[in-house]
Parts: sequence; C-alpha cells; structure tokens
Amino acid sequence: MQKKHYFDIKWAVILVIVAFLLVFQVFPLLYLVYRSFFSTGKFSLEGFSRIYTYEMNWSCLKNTIITAGFAMIFGVILAFPLAWLVGRTNLYGKKFFRFLFVTTYMVPPYVGAMAWLRLLNPKVGTLNVFIKNLLHLSENPFNIYSIWGLVWVLTTFYYPYAFITISRAMEKMDPSLEEASRISGASPLKTLFTVTLPLMMPSIVAAALLVFVAAASCYGIPSIIGAPGQLYTVTTRIMDYVSVGSQQGLTDATVLAVFLMAIALLVLYISNFVVGKKDYITVSGKSTRPNIVDLGKWRIPITILVSIFALIVVIIPFATVFMTSFTTNMGKSLFAPGNFTLKFWNTALTRKSILGSTKNSVISAVWAATLGMIVCLVMAYLLKRTNVKGKAVPDFLITVGSGTPSVVIALALIMTMSGRFGVNIYNTIFIMIVAYMIKYMLMGMRTVVSAFSQVSPSLEEAAQISGAGWLRRLKDVLFPLIIPSIVAGWFLIFMPCFYELTMSNLLYSTDTKTLGVELFTYQTYHSQQTASALAGGILIMVIGLNVILDKVTKGKFSI
Amino acid sequence: MSVITIDHVTKSFGNVEVLKEFTQEFQDGEFITLLGPSGCGKTTMLRIIAGFEKPTTGEVRIDGKVVSSKDVFVPPEKREIGMVFQSYAVWPHMNVFDNVAYPLKIKRMPKNVIREKVEGILEVVHLSQYADRMPSQLSGGQQQRVALGRALVAEPKLLLLDEPLSNLDAKLRESMRYEIKEIQRKLGITVVYVTHDQIEAMTMSDRVYIINRGVIQQVGHPIEIYRHPANQFVADFVGKVNFIKGLAEAGRIRIKGIDQSVKYDGEMRGDVVLAIRPENIELTSAEGHLTGILSSMYYLGDVNDCRVEVGDTTLRVTADAHTYDTLRVGDKVGLIIDSFLVYPDDGNDDYNKILT
Ligand SMILES: Nc1ncnc2c1ncn2[C@@H]1O[C@H](COP(=O)(O)OP(=O)(O)O)[C@@H](O)[C@H]1O
Ligand SMILES: [Mg+2]
Repeated sequence: MQKKHYFDIKWAVILVIVAFLLVFQVFPLLYLVYRSFFSTGKFSLEGFSRIYTYEMNWSCLKNTIITAGFAMIFGVILAFPLAWLVGRTNLYGKKFFRFLFVTTYMVPPYVGAMAWLRLLNPKVGTLNVFIKNLLHLSENPFNIYSIWGLVWVLTTFYYPYAFITISRAMEKMDPSLEEASRISGASPLKTLFTVTLPLMMPSIVAAALLVFVAAASCYGIPSIIGAPGQLYTVTTRIMDYVSVGSQQGLTDATVLAVFLMAIALLVLYISNFVVGKKDYITVSGKSTRPNIVDLGKWRIPITILVSIFALIVVIIPFATVFMTSFTTNMGKSLFAPGNFTLKFWNTALTRKSILGSTKNSVISAVWAATLGMIVCLVMAYLLKRTNVKGKAVPDFLITVGSGTPSVVIALALIMTMSGRFGVNIYNTIFIMIVAYMIKYMLMGMRTVVSAFSQVSPSLEEAAQISGAGWLRRLKDVLFPLIIPSIVAGWFLIFMPCFYELTMSNLLYSTDTKTLGVELFTYQTYHSQQTASALAGGILIMVIGLNVILDKVTKGKFSI
Repeated sequence: MSVITIDHVTKSFGNVEVLKEFTQEFQDGEFITLLGPSGCGKTTMLRIIAGFEKPTTGEVRIDGKVVSSKDVFVPPEKREIGMVFQSYAVWPHMNVFDNVAYPLKIKRMPKNVIREKVEGILEVVHLSQYADRMPSQLSGGQQQRVALGRALVAEPKLLLLDEPLSNLDAKLRESMRYEIKEIQRKLGITVVYVTHDQIEAMTMSDRVYIINRGVIQQVGHPIEIYRHPANQFVADFVGKVNFIKGLAEAGRIRIKGIDQSVKYDGEMRGDVVLAIRPENIELTSAEGHLTGILSSMYYLGDVNDCRVEVGDTTLRVTADAHTYDTLRVGDKVGLIIDSFLVYPDDGNDDYNKILT
C-alpha cells in the first residue's frame, strides 16, 4: 500500500480530539470566568461585591476550606500508614484490605453520607446509642450534623484517593533504596522517616491536594449532612443559587463557582509544577524484588488495628445501608418482629421511573467511558510516542478538567451549550456525557499513560519496520499489550459516571434523569429505605465489577 | 576482616528450592566471587548474608556469631556490612555527600568526624568534586561509585557487591574492576562479589564459586577453575570450549561418528565427552591428531578465529594470526590437540547447545 503523500491518519484523529477538548471544555470554562466579570455585558465587579459582602457566603467559603482542609489532613494521616502497611509489610490480609479501600473509592460518596446519618444521628444514631450504652454516657457522644461530622464523612470517603495515589508511588519505588538504608545501620522505623517518607513526599503532597479538591467540590455529602444542620458549603450554596432559576441566581452561582475554580487551579498548579518537579520516583533503579518489612511482634496488633479501622470506616457503613434497605420502621431495630421487608428492594428493582433512570445512567456512563477511553488512548499516544511540540497540552487539559469542581463544569456547560453559541445539547443526554468525560477522563488517562510507559517503543517500531501502518500497529502490538489497562481505565471512568450526582443534578431533564439524581431525591424527599435499596444495588454492582476488574488486570489494580 | 560461615543453608520461595545445601566458609580478607548464570541464586545467597532474606534451613555466622538461624535473626542494620546494590540504590533526595555520610549519621558520629571520613572516602572513589551534586546529575558510573563510597565509609569488615558493574560500559567496567580490587587490598576487607561475568570473576577473585541452579559446581582459584573445570558446566561457563562425544578405550578415545581418535592415557572407559578449549588446538597443513575441513575464518587481529568441520561436529579453533594468510576456507587441515579434558557422557546435550 504505497502512497505518494504519507498522510498519517493519526494526525487527523489527534486534531479531532483536541478540537473536542477546546470546544467542550476550554471554551465553556473560559466563558464561565468571563461571565462572572461581564454578567451585564460590561465589565463589572458588581456580582463579586454582592456575593462576597453577604455574610452567609463567607461562612460557606469558610466551611468549605475548613472541612476540605481537615479531610485532607486526616485523609493523608490515614492513607500513608495504610499504604505502607498494605504495600510494604507482612500485614495479614493485605490483599483484602487493599480491596476494601479501593472499593470505597468506587462507592458513591453520598451513600456513605446516608449511612453515617443513620449511625451518628444525634438522637437515634445506632452507633451513638451503642457507644453511649457501652461507656454509660449520659448523652450521645457524636452529632453528625456538625462541621466535624462533615469532616468525618468527607475523610472516610476521600482518604482512598490518597491511599491509591500513595500506594502507586510506593509500588514504583525501588525497594533497594530502603535496603541500602537498613544495611547502613538504620532501623526500619528510621528508614521509614529518612528514606521512604522523603521519597514519597511529592506523592503525599499530590495525594493531599487531590483529597482537598475532591472534598471541596463535593456536593452529595454536604447536602445530605450539612443541610439538616444548617451547614452550608460553596457547592450547596451554588446549587441553591442555580435552583432559584433566575438570571441573577445563575450569575451569583457563577461568581461563587469562580472561587472554587480558582482554588482548584491553584492546587493543580502547586501539585503539577511545584511538587511535580521534585518527583524522584522516576529516578529509580530496575530492581523490582518486593521488599517486605517484617512487623515482628507488632504484626498481630497492627493487623487488629487495621481491621478495626476497616470495620468502622468501610464495613459498618456499608452494612448499615443494607440493613436500612430491609427495615420497615427505621425507628426500630431491623430484627424487631415484622420489621423486615423486601418491599423497598422490590420498588428499587421494578419501579418504572427508577428503571428508566438506571437505563439513562448506564447509557451515558457507557458512552462517556468508551469515548473517554478513545480520547485517553490517542492522547496518551501523543504524549508518549510522538515528539510534537505541545504534546503535553491535552494531558494538561484533561488534568485541569478533572481538577475542576463538578458544579463548575456543569454550570459552564449550561451557559455555553444551551443554544447561545449555536450548540444546544441542554436537556439531552449528550451534555451529561460531555460533562462526565471532562470530569472523569483523568483516571483513564493516568492508567493508559502508565501502561504506555511500560511498553517499550521498540516493540512498536519493530512492527513499523515490518511494514505495519499506524492503526495496524495499534491493533497488533500496542493494544494487546495494554488491554488490561484499557479495561481498567474504562471501568474507572464508567463507575463514577454511573452514579454521578452533582453534575447530573444540574443537567438532567425529565427524560434524562439519572440514577444518582433518583437516589438523591428518594433520600431527601421520599423514602430513605428505597434510597438505601438503590445504594445497596450500586454497592453490589461496584463490588462485583471490582472483582471482575481484579481478575482482568490480574490483581494489579492499575489505578 | 571477618569470617563468614554458611552452614547447611537452603532457601525456598514457596515450594521452589532456589538454593540447595550450601556449606562454606569465607576467610578473612578474602575476595570471594559467586559466579553463575542469571537466576542461579547468587543474589539470594548475598541477601541471606546481608539479612534481607532468612534461610529456610541452616545457619549463617559472621566471625563465629550466629546472625541467621532457626532461632536467631540479626536484622541487616545490626550486621555492620557494606553493600552495593545492583541498581545502586543511591537516594535521589540526598546529594552525594549526604548519601555517603548516612551510615555515619546513623552511628551518631560528630559532624567534623563525618566530614573528614566522607571526604576521605570520596577521594578514594574519585568523587571529591561531586560532593554537592544530586544523584540525578550523575552518570551511571558516578552513581555506582557513590554506592561504593557509602558501602565503605563506615569501614565495614565485610563488603557485599551484587553485579555492581553490570550497568557500566566496557571501559568504565575495566577501571572500576581495578579500583574495587585496589580498595579491597588496601582495606583488607572480606568481599563477596556476585557476577555473571567470568572476566570479572577471573581478574579479581581469590576464590570463585561457580553456581548453577542453586548448586555449587566448583570452588577454587580462578586459574584452577579454568584449567581443571570440575564438570562440563564449569568448563563451558568459564571460558570457551568444544565438546566432542567419544568412546574411551585403553590408550585412546575414538571420536563418535568418524574413524578418528586421539591418544588418551586416563582411566575412564566407555561413553565420554571431550572438552577442548579453542586456544588449545593448533592448526597445521601437515598431519595432526585429528583431521577436518576448514569451514570459516575470522581475522581478529591478534588471533585467527576458525571453525573446522570434524565429521559432523564443528570445532572452534583459536589459531595463530598468521595462519590467516596461509590457509584457505575449504582446506583440509590437521589439528594438534595440546590438551583436553574428559568427562563421562551423561547424555545431556545442553552444554553443546549453548556453544553453537
Ligand atoms: N522473592 C522471591 N520470590 C520468589 N522467587 C524468587 C524471589 N527472589 C528470587 N526468586 C527466584 O530465585 C531464583 C534465584 O534468584 P536470584 O538469586 O535473584 O538469581 P541471580 O541473582 O543468580 O540471578 C530465581 O529463579 C528467582 O526467580
Ligand atoms: Mg541477581
């Protein structure tokens, strides 16, 4: 197949994707910023002065910073030792713990909020009452409807981000770096502090920032836990402004959103350009021998400690969701006579509107994951296999998209994609697919990029020299080698899209209601048990898919 | 200066036994090399001495003190050993000085002593002017010397080296070989050196251990191993060798498949394998011990690297360089065998395969 002009199809594909990112991500976000300054057509800070002089908004900002800040600190304090124990020591049941923590990452955060609401309700929370009786306290020790309640739930749902990030870095670290310290005379603990911790610092900071952004831009948790306690955050406030429905409401929402976006961008900047520069992990040797630290006499006590942690943070909340879904009267114990019922599961599995929403969620998540993976593959190729100037730009855009709070993305899309600029996909499923892609492609991208790094370019060059064109090479050499990562990446995009709440809540119409929105509506307005049954269904699915994923990637969960 | 005693040590990972029954003593100030193909268990042995692996059975003693056994285990940091890792393991977040100073800091030596010692050792490894560099700014050879400096700075009595030269280019490798040997001589320390490179083993060691599949094949001085390899594996792994199958009788060995034989006054009878090193064969246009057809020649400058067909086996012959001018490919040549070794034929052809 000799051609005169060596037209390379890869450039066409790359161009299309870059155009897509420009139109659906860069432009809307820029427009959002523009709108916040030019709400009336002329430059004005009127919106800013209105929003930021309002006492209430300041308390929202404060709440957001405080809760996200503490979630970040606690999250890392939990995640680092856990990652170290699971990755580097002879802790019992390492694989199981790892599975639990990674599964938590895939569970919708609002499900956690629902569970903790039941457990730590100031009056009737199960755990509250249990602890009160156990310790003979005069009143219930915890109140979930407080800023610390919010911090607690945010922490328990976002520490897995840090856990995964830090684990990944630890796996990549050459274990002989630690061994060199041991043979130099340092004890395991001394080695942890003088070698492991400093080497991990860049990833720890990156993990911390990830948790911070995720917690600051979370909507589900603060709205379920904060609202009853009159505790507002920037995200819930933005939602309130949007739901006012007026043009001014939208402007006010935009102005607040710009604040969130500024925080996110700042954090992104710090993690990529300040911390990223100090990333030592790439300077590792080639030894891959797993180095297991013997915990010695601490092995059993530490295993017990980790088990208690897993029990409280993962198992009890999940179990609570299931129990709630079978309970007729939530005021009584599930095991009280006649209190057990399957009717909520029946509702969850048969009601037309729920099935419709589930279908919508499946469709949009499948599309987002599939298109997203195509984008990720091509962009990872661009990044890792070509020398084009600016090859890192799409990667950067994908990172920015993911770092942008969900509310901000949704707002930006609403303002630009509802006909004002000739594109009207508002009220359709497309706008959701686009939003999902922008928000969740990063995980797919990271997975594929790391897979690319592990396949030597010479393998592909060998195919090229044998006469294979670009598509042919991808198909014959590259894809077969990285297929587990592609599957993993696909699921990593699919899962959060499937139960997505924040963006869907702003973007849905009666025909495109999603599972997340449905669940949220049931939880807030109708029946917590039905919501729990739905959440239980999602949990089962998450765990099932996680097991499949584990098999497909041969136990190497490459997130 | 220390004596290492390895007493009935075995090591299994799961149910795969990677080291079989190892009982040896490394003497004070000796340069010991563990030589064998990749995967034979060299690194595992080294890591058992260092304390990164526990032996499955048996016991390790350093200067008579048990460091690993069923009941006793001294962790690596308490063994006072210097070690250079195959991947160097130079800490990327510390500069050269801090890397090298680390073992002394752990010992809580005073600052000025640390400075003095580190500067001294940097001198030895030729890195004085790089003290402030970060590892990412160093070449592979320099990183390797940082690792060596770090291993030596605390003046360990025992130095373990795991293929320390394998990532270097040929020139650097040669000079580092020399330097390591010099340092060892100067400090008089015991060194256990792991490599799969026979030249490294030959040039540096007092004693070489040839290991294959977790079993020691032969122990001895390099010359002894080269001249008197204990079996076909050793003969083949150390240096080059031709194997020919034959039938030993009183006074001679018949070469199988052809009607030729060589003189033999040894004891062995029956199926045997002759091992002949290429440099122990001379070519002649006159009558030799064997006769063959010259099938190819490569002029290497100092020697003429030839292949000769004898029956259906091809023999490699390292001939005098001038024979390149007098012989032609296709000539019938005589082979004078200066010396050869005879092993009983165990029916295993693997060694021949490696050669061709
Ligand atoms: N931690 C381990 N778990 C399982 N098998 C191992 C481990 N370490 C080494 N092995 C196996 O033991 C054998 C010897 O390994 P090694 O000592 O590294 O060989 P060498 O250093 O001689 O190349 C190899 O087959 C290797 O696969
Ligand atoms: Mg090795």
